[in-house]
Amino acid sequence: MSWLPSAAEATQVHLTSQTRIVAAIIAIFFMLLILELIRRDRLQERYSVIWFIAGLGMLAGAAFPGLLELVADLMGVRDTNVALFSIVLLLLLGLALNFSVIMSRQAAQITRLAQERAIEKAREQAGNGSTPTRGSDAAGQGRREPE
Amino acid sequence: MAAGLRGRIAAVRTLVFIPAWNEEASLAAVVDDVREHLAGADILVVDDGSTDATTARARECGVLVATLPFNQGLGAALQTGYLYALREGYDCCAHLDADGQHPAAEVARLLAEVEADRADLVIGSRYRNPDAVLENDDYKPTFSRRLGTGVFRFFLTLATRQRFTDTTSGMRAANRRVMSLFSENYSPDFAEIESLQLAVRQGLRVEELPVRMLERTGGSSFLTPLRSAFFIFKGVVVLLVGQFRPRRVEAGR
Repeated sequence: MSWLPSAAEATQVHLTSQTRIVAAIIAIFFMLLILELIRRDRLQERYSVIWFIAGLGMLAGAAFPGLLELVADLMGVRDTNVALFSIVLLLLLGLALNFSVIMSRQAAQITRLAQERAIEKAREQAGNGSTPTRGSDAAGQGRREPE
Repeated sequence: MAAGLRGRIAAVRTLVFIPAWNEEASLAAVVDDVREHLAGADILVVDDGSTDATTARARECGVLVATLPFNQGLGAALQTGYLYALREGYDCCAHLDADGQHPAAEVARLLAEVEADRADLVIGSRYRNPDAVLENDDYKPTFSRRLGTGVFRFFLTLATRQRFTDTTSGMRAANRRVMSLFSENYSPDFAEIESLQLAVRQGLRVEELPVRMLERTGGSSFLTPLRSAFFIFKGVVVLLVGQFRPRRVEAGR
């Protein structure tokens, strides 16, 4: 396929030093924002790691444009921009999945919390002596300790 | 347990719980029915975040009430019942719907199976009764219901290698092994089918018993054609995923 220009040749002009500087500034601001959010307790550290990695990736892409071209070459993509968008898209996909996992865990925790509260109320009611049930005799003697 | 003590508590402690979501109209009749046919059992109504007077009605009936602060689906409500039964040391538990479709006399038959230790989990099936004569108020399934039941029956039988006819039945009786399994693992979205698959995969003895069911006396079915289609699709996905869950984590502990 020698008649095709290599990926690096075709896209060298795309990343000017101006875009690199803009990208680097955005990346730095982004990471500062994350630090600030952690400092103000608006974001927990354990959820910030993934954003830091994203910020570092942005910074690395801005500082070493050859890196992006190398990745584009490895992906077999001729246009560096397409490679960039693909990577960002995959990253966002990963982040969204990550949030779904966290959300599921929290939903399960909230459910259990609600159940515990409901059970506690019912137990209070049972212990109030107003035990409304028939076999209350057996209830007193047969009760076992909860496991 | 000491032998002498065993004699005194020979009466099996049973909890009958009723998951209820906006069932103020039919709840009292169901509670009365359970009282009549299951005299020795404690009754717990699990109010799944109703916006009507379900909790108040249940308290008027003088039964235990566990009120969830917001609606979380049938699975979460049933799990609350299993968790309560497990924590409070009940030997057996059973649950039935609050809409009056499930006669308590039939629940008693399910419980008898569990108490006799012939099965860990007994499902009341409205279908497995070929020679039953349909009475006027007996349950008659709609078309979409029959379709869904057919699909679930096929896939669940495929998944568990055990024949099930009524996969979505909300009338069940269970022992402590089931309580400890279900209080830990119970899908909030797809309670009935997934739980059957789970129980069989954990090596529990699951049995179906033909029962008589009635037309609902209050409330309305949540199934519209579109919802039915989605329900069926979701159920199949859930079953598929369930096949990849680990087997026998700690059954029978």
